[in-house]
Amino acid sequence: MDIEVTQTGAVTLVVPKGDLDMATADQMKRTLSDLIEKGQSKLVMDLTRVAYVDSSGLGALVAAMKQARAAGGNLKLCSLQEDVRSIFEMTRLIKVMAVHSDRQEAVASW
Amino acid sequence: MTADTLVITSESAELARLRSWLGEQLSVRGLDSHARSALQVAVGELATNAIKHAYGGRAGHPIHVSVASREDGVVIHVEDFGKPFDPALYHEPNLDELNEHGLGLYIAQRLADEFSFDLARERGTRWTLVKYQTGTNPERSA
Repeated sequence: MDIEVTQTGAVTLVVPKGDLDMATADQMKRTLSDLIEKGQSKLVMDLTRVAYVDSSGLGALVAAMKQARAAGGNLKLCSLQEDVRSIFEMTRLIKVMAVHSDRQEAVASW
Repeated sequence: MTADTLVITSESAELARLRSWLGEQLSVRGLDSHARSALQVAVGELATNAIKHAYGGRAGHPIHVSVASREDGVVIHVEDFGKPFDPALYHEPNLDELNEHGLGLYIAQRLADEFSFDLARERGTRWTLVKYQTGTNPERSA
Protein backbone atom coordinates (compact mmCIF):
# COMPACT_ATOMS: atom_id res chain seq x y z
CA MET A 1 0.00 0.00 0.00
CA ASP A 2 1.30 3.46 -0.86
CA ILE A 3 1.03 5.86 2.08
CA GLU A 4 1.81 9.50 1.36
CA VAL A 5 2.66 11.65 4.39
CA THR A 6 2.83 15.46 4.25
CA GLN A 7 2.92 18.19 6.88
CA THR A 8 0.40 21.05 6.82
CA GLY A 9 1.37 23.34 9.70
CA ALA A 10 0.87 21.36 12.91
CA VAL A 11 -1.25 18.76 11.16
CA THR A 12 0.16 15.65 9.51
CA LEU A 13 -1.77 14.56 6.46
CA VAL A 14 -1.75 10.84 5.65
CA VAL A 15 -3.05 9.71 2.26
CA PRO A 16 -3.08 5.94 1.71
CA LYS A 17 -3.74 4.40 -1.68
CA GLY A 18 -5.07 0.84 -1.96
CA ASP A 19 -7.03 -1.64 0.11
CA LEU A 20 -6.81 -1.62 3.89
CA ASP A 21 -7.05 -5.29 4.85
CA MET A 22 -5.12 -7.95 6.75
CA ALA A 23 -2.27 -7.67 4.24
CA THR A 24 -1.77 -3.92 4.75
CA ALA A 25 -3.11 -3.22 8.27
CA ASP A 26 0.26 -3.76 9.98
CA GLN A 27 1.98 -1.36 7.59
CA MET A 28 -0.67 1.25 8.30
CA LYS A 29 -0.45 0.73 12.05
CA ARG A 30 3.35 1.00 11.97
CA THR A 31 3.33 4.14 9.84
CA LEU A 32 0.89 5.92 12.14
CA SER A 33 2.62 4.70 15.29
CA ASP A 34 5.99 5.99 14.03
CA LEU A 35 4.49 9.42 13.31
CA ILE A 36 2.90 9.64 16.75
CA GLU A 37 6.13 8.57 18.46
CA LYS A 38 7.93 11.36 16.60
CA GLY A 39 5.46 13.86 18.06
CA GLN A 40 3.15 14.10 15.05
CA SER A 41 -0.06 13.17 16.83
CA LYS A 42 -2.40 15.61 15.07
CA LEU A 43 -3.27 13.39 12.16
CA VAL A 44 -5.70 13.67 9.27
CA MET A 45 -6.17 10.65 7.04
CA ASP A 46 -7.70 11.22 3.62
CA LEU A 47 -9.37 7.99 2.47
CA THR A 48 -10.29 9.17 -1.03
CA ARG A 49 -8.14 6.46 -2.62
CA VAL A 50 -9.17 3.61 -0.32
CA ALA A 51 -12.05 1.58 -1.74
CA TYR A 52 -11.88 -1.32 0.70
CA VAL A 53 -11.58 -1.42 4.49
CA ASP A 54 -12.22 -4.53 6.57
CA SER A 55 -12.01 -5.32 10.29
CA SER A 56 -8.19 -5.61 10.17
CA GLY A 57 -8.02 -2.12 8.69
CA LEU A 58 -10.48 -0.76 11.23
CA GLY A 59 -8.39 -2.30 14.01
CA ALA A 60 -5.27 -0.50 12.77
CA LEU A 61 -7.09 2.84 12.65
CA VAL A 62 -8.66 2.39 16.10
CA ALA A 63 -5.27 1.48 17.60
CA ALA A 64 -3.68 4.57 16.03
CA MET A 65 -6.52 6.78 17.16
CA LYS A 66 -6.11 5.59 20.77
CA GLN A 67 -2.36 6.15 20.59
CA ALA A 68 -2.78 9.62 19.09
CA ARG A 69 -5.35 10.65 21.71
CA ALA A 70 -3.09 9.38 24.50
CA ALA A 71 -0.36 11.63 23.08
CA GLY A 72 -2.65 14.66 23.10
CA GLY A 73 -3.67 14.50 19.46
CA ASN A 74 -6.18 12.54 17.42
CA LEU A 75 -6.61 10.67 14.16
CA LYS A 76 -9.28 12.35 12.06
CA LEU A 77 -10.63 10.81 8.88
CA CYS A 78 -12.04 12.40 5.77
CA SER A 79 -13.35 11.71 2.28
CA LEU A 80 -14.67 8.21 2.92
CA GLN A 81 -16.07 6.41 -0.11
CA GLU A 82 -19.68 5.30 0.28
CA ASP A 83 -19.01 1.58 0.78
CA VAL A 84 -16.19 2.32 3.22
CA ARG A 85 -18.40 4.72 5.14
CA SER A 86 -21.06 2.01 5.50
CA ILE A 87 -18.52 -0.22 7.32
CA PHE A 88 -17.78 2.63 9.76
CA GLU A 89 -21.52 3.13 10.26
CA MET A 90 -22.20 -0.57 10.79
CA THR A 91 -19.54 -0.79 13.49
CA ARG A 92 -20.58 2.60 14.96
CA LEU A 93 -17.02 3.85 14.61
CA ILE A 94 -18.49 6.76 12.68
CA LYS A 95 -19.77 8.04 16.03
CA VAL A 96 -16.58 7.73 18.05
CA MET A 97 -14.02 8.68 15.42
CA ALA A 98 -13.77 12.19 14.04
CA VAL A 99 -14.97 11.85 10.44
CA HIS A 100 -15.09 14.85 8.11
CA SER A 101 -16.47 15.25 4.62
CA ASP A 102 -13.26 16.54 3.04
CA ARG A 103 -9.61 17.30 3.69
CA GLN A 104 -10.04 21.06 4.11
CA GLU A 105 -12.70 20.58 6.76
CA ALA A 106 -10.64 17.98 8.63
CA VAL A 107 -7.47 20.09 8.65
CA ALA A 108 -9.41 23.23 9.64
CA SER A 109 -11.02 21.34 12.56
CA TRP A 110 -7.67 21.39 14.36
CA MET B 1 -27.32 -24.35 -9.84
CA THR B 2 -23.76 -24.28 -11.16
CA ALA B 3 -21.00 -23.07 -8.89
CA ASP B 4 -17.64 -21.51 -9.65
CA THR B 5 -14.87 -22.18 -7.18
CA LEU B 6 -11.58 -20.50 -6.33
CA VAL B 7 -8.99 -22.05 -4.06
CA ILE B 8 -6.59 -19.71 -2.30
CA THR B 9 -3.95 -20.49 0.28
CA SER B 10 -3.86 -19.14 3.80
CA GLU B 11 -1.79 -16.00 3.22
CA SER B 12 -2.97 -12.41 3.50
CA ALA B 13 -1.48 -11.63 0.07
CA GLU B 14 -4.12 -13.94 -1.42
CA LEU B 15 -7.00 -11.76 -0.22
CA ALA B 16 -6.70 -9.25 -3.06
CA ARG B 17 -6.89 -12.08 -5.61
CA LEU B 18 -9.97 -13.42 -3.85
CA ARG B 19 -11.67 -9.99 -3.94
CA SER B 20 -10.90 -9.56 -7.61
CA TRP B 21 -12.22 -13.00 -8.55
CA LEU B 22 -15.33 -12.58 -6.41
CA GLY B 23 -16.05 -9.17 -7.90
CA GLU B 24 -16.00 -10.66 -11.40
CA GLN B 25 -18.21 -13.59 -10.38
CA LEU B 26 -20.78 -11.31 -8.81
CA SER B 27 -20.70 -8.87 -11.70
CA VAL B 28 -21.43 -11.67 -14.17
CA ARG B 29 -24.34 -12.68 -11.92
CA GLY B 30 -25.79 -9.18 -12.10
CA LEU B 31 -25.23 -7.92 -8.56
CA ASP B 32 -24.95 -4.16 -8.22
CA SER B 33 -21.77 -2.50 -7.02
CA HIS B 34 -22.94 -2.09 -3.40
CA ALA B 35 -23.90 -5.76 -3.11
CA ARG B 36 -20.58 -6.76 -4.71
CA SER B 37 -18.66 -4.56 -2.32
CA ALA B 38 -20.58 -5.90 0.70
CA LEU B 39 -19.88 -9.50 -0.29
CA GLN B 40 -16.22 -8.80 -0.98
CA VAL B 41 -15.90 -7.51 2.57
CA ALA B 42 -17.97 -10.36 4.07
CA VAL B 43 -16.07 -13.10 2.24
CA GLY B 44 -12.78 -11.34 2.96
CA GLU B 45 -13.59 -11.39 6.67
CA LEU B 46 -14.30 -15.13 6.59
CA ALA B 47 -11.11 -15.84 4.67
CA THR B 48 -9.16 -13.64 7.09
CA ASN B 49 -10.66 -15.58 10.00
CA ALA B 50 -9.65 -18.84 8.34
CA ILE B 51 -6.05 -17.60 7.97
CA LYS B 52 -5.85 -16.25 11.53
CA HIS B 53 -7.90 -18.73 13.51
CA ALA B 54 -8.56 -21.95 11.58
CA TYR B 55 -4.94 -22.18 10.41
CA GLY B 56 -3.40 -20.12 13.23
CA GLY B 57 -1.50 -17.89 10.81
CA ARG B 58 0.24 -20.81 9.08
CA ALA B 59 0.66 -20.30 5.33
CA GLY B 60 -0.05 -22.73 2.54
CA HIS B 61 -3.35 -24.22 3.65
CA PRO B 62 -6.40 -24.23 1.37
CA ILE B 63 -9.46 -22.02 1.57
CA HIS B 64 -12.21 -22.81 -0.92
CA VAL B 65 -14.65 -20.14 -2.03
CA SER B 66 -17.56 -20.98 -4.30
CA VAL B 67 -20.27 -18.81 -5.82
CA ALA B 68 -23.54 -20.03 -7.29
CA SER B 69 -26.59 -18.27 -8.63
CA ARG B 70 -30.07 -19.05 -7.47
CA GLU B 71 -33.42 -17.59 -8.39
CA ASP B 72 -33.38 -14.80 -5.80
CA GLY B 73 -29.68 -14.04 -5.65
CA VAL B 74 -26.36 -15.73 -4.96
CA VAL B 75 -25.08 -18.24 -2.46
CA ILE B 76 -21.43 -18.26 -1.41
CA HIS B 77 -19.56 -20.92 0.53
CA VAL B 78 -16.24 -20.27 2.29
CA GLU B 79 -14.59 -23.43 3.51
CA ASP B 80 -11.44 -24.20 5.44
CA PHE B 81 -9.99 -27.44 6.73
CA GLY B 82 -8.35 -26.24 9.91
CA LYS B 83 -9.47 -25.79 13.50
CA PRO B 84 -13.26 -25.56 13.48
CA PHE B 85 -15.10 -22.44 14.56
CA ASP B 86 -16.33 -22.74 18.14
CA PRO B 87 -19.58 -20.81 18.55
CA ALA B 88 -19.31 -21.12 22.34
CA LEU B 89 -16.23 -18.90 22.24
CA TYR B 90 -17.79 -16.23 20.06
CA HIS B 91 -19.19 -13.08 21.64
CA GLU B 92 -20.77 -10.35 19.62
CA PRO B 93 -18.68 -7.19 19.99
CA ASN B 94 -19.81 -4.34 22.20
CA LEU B 95 -20.02 -1.52 19.67
CA ASP B 96 -20.00 1.10 22.40
CA GLU B 97 -16.35 0.23 22.96
CA LEU B 98 -13.42 0.99 20.69
CA ASN B 99 -12.71 -2.45 19.27
CA GLU B 100 -9.36 -3.23 17.69
CA HIS B 101 -10.31 -6.90 17.27
CA GLY B 102 -13.35 -9.13 17.08
CA LEU B 103 -15.37 -7.27 14.45
CA GLY B 104 -14.82 -9.58 11.46
CA LEU B 105 -17.56 -12.11 12.01
CA TYR B 106 -19.99 -9.42 13.08
CA ILE B 107 -19.34 -7.50 9.86
CA ALA B 108 -19.64 -10.63 7.69
CA GLN B 109 -22.93 -11.52 9.31
CA ARG B 110 -24.35 -8.03 8.92
CA LEU B 111 -23.44 -7.82 5.24
CA ALA B 112 -25.19 -11.03 4.22
CA ASP B 113 -28.95 -11.59 3.99
CA GLU B 114 -28.57 -15.15 5.24
CA PHE B 115 -25.56 -16.39 7.18
CA SER B 116 -24.79 -19.83 8.61
CA PHE B 117 -21.97 -22.24 9.31
CA ASP B 118 -21.57 -25.99 9.15
CA LEU B 119 -19.34 -27.88 11.57
CA ALA B 120 -20.62 -31.38 10.75
CA ARG B 121 -17.46 -32.24 8.88
CA GLU B 122 -14.22 -34.05 9.40
CA ARG B 123 -12.23 -30.82 9.74
CA GLY B 124 -12.75 -27.10 9.51
CA THR B 125 -15.75 -24.89 8.96
CA ARG B 126 -17.97 -24.22 5.99
CA TRP B 127 -19.64 -20.81 5.99
CA THR B 128 -22.64 -20.04 3.82
CA LEU B 129 -23.73 -16.55 2.82
CA VAL B 130 -26.75 -15.64 0.75
CA LYS B 131 -27.31 -12.24 -0.81
CA TYR B 132 -30.61 -11.43 -2.48
CA GLN B 133 -30.78 -9.56 -5.73
CA THR B 134 -32.17 -6.11 -5.08
CA GLY B 135 -35.95 -6.29 -5.25
CA THR B 136 -36.33 -10.03 -4.84
CA ASN B 137 -36.92 -9.90 -1.09
CA PRO B 138 -38.89 -6.89 0.13
CA GLU B 139 -38.20 -7.76 3.77
CA ARG B 140 -34.47 -7.15 3.46
CA SER B 141 -32.43 -4.46 1.79
CA ALA B 142 -28.92 -4.70 0.32
